[in-house]
Amino acid sequence: MKHDRTHGQFLDLIHKHQSIIHKICFVYCKNSADREDLQQEIILQLWKSFPSFHGKAAFSTWMYRVALNTAINQTRRPRLFIDSSSSPEPFYDPSDAYMHSEEIRILYKAISKLKKIEKAIMLLWLEEKSYEEIAELIGITAKHVSVKLVRVRARLTEIISNLN
Amino acid sequence: MKSIDLDSLKKAWKNEGSFEDRRLSEAEIENYLRNKSRDISRLFRKGLIFDIVLKSIIGVSLMGLFFLLKSNLSFAIISFAILLILWAIRYQWLMISRIPETSSPDPVIKTTLERKITFYRRRYINSLYVGALSNSLFILAGILYYFYFKYGEIRPLQWDDYLVFGITMILGFALGAYDQIAQHSFQVKQLESSLQEIDENLMSTLSLRDQRNRKRRLILAFVLVLICGLLLLTYLIFR
Repeated sequence: MKHDRTHGQFLDLIHKHQSIIHKICFVYCKNSADREDLQQEIILQLWKSFPSFHGKAAFSTWMYRVALNTAINQTRRPRLFIDSSSSPEPFYDPSDAYMHSEEIRILYKAISKLKKIEKAIMLLWLEEKSYEEIAELIGITAKHVSVKLVRVRARLTEIISNLN
Repeated sequence: MKSIDLDSLKKAWKNEGSFEDRRLSEAEIENYLRNKSRDISRLFRKGLIFDIVLKSIIGVSLMGLFFLLKSNLSFAIISFAILLILWAIRYQWLMISRIPETSSPDPVIKTTLERKITFYRRRYINSLYVGALSNSLFILAGILYYFYFKYGEIRPLQWDDYLVFGITMILGFALGAYDQIAQHSFQVKQLESSLQEIDENLMSTLSLRDQRNRKRRLILAFVLVLICGLLLLTYLIFR
């Protein structure tokens, strides 16, 4: 009975805050198949961690923590006969084209060229999280976040200007 | 100009409705919960379970030989192999319970990465060698069955027989270990590159701070020398 209530509560919360999952999958995945996989993994990890959520922080903050951790810890499998060092170029799914504005498409292309941690920092900056929140989530100081953010922004600007 | 571009993109991100519009139904979420995780932890756990099953099968087949072959030599070899299998199964079983999960009560990216990398590099690596023992044990069981079906017993062996069988078993172990370590390294390196990304920034930030401090010290020293010089000059002029 208690488990059912927890399950229902979990579904409600995920339903309410699922845009966070979509944003993280959008930033971290190269195609729709990867996005589907990551979406599933994030929901599974959120469900596993859910008993430890006691409501001390906002659910959305906690969700960012678990989801970003999952995205960063996700690894590729070794493939035989394929050069593992070269990953396929990200492509913008044509079926998504009608969904996103031109700016978001540019942003997607630029962010896909960043490294995993840079992506996390950029996403949190776009989500208007404070330096302290970003620092706490990544495990570094707020000062390091500010330095890192300056670099990531500069890199992103450079990538966008190259894209243009 | 450049920062204005980024800020306009930030505004566009904030106003983007597609993330809110895309809705997962409850059925889809339920379906995800029923599926199995593809996390690296599960991959390693699956590998350990497979190895335990394989070792158990080899163990059972060796126990069969225990009753079929009755010489002292076979008794000694089979007893040793079974004891080795029991130890290895226990080792792998304990390792399964120690595998760190991505989901933790308060996940901090750096801590989770460090925890996982430390475990996979320092502890899990040993279980790969234990896993590779399956190849040697499989070869050993094969050789014993060969003797049983061909001669009905283990014939007295010469030193070169021991050499050939020994080399075959060592090769089996080495190839198995190499293959597993290569796969393991490929997975762990991906985690390490993320951790390195965090630490690199820390190091470069620290060096930036060091440079700034050194610059401050130099300016201070320059100002002190300048003041001393001016005082000396004033003394020389007005003495």
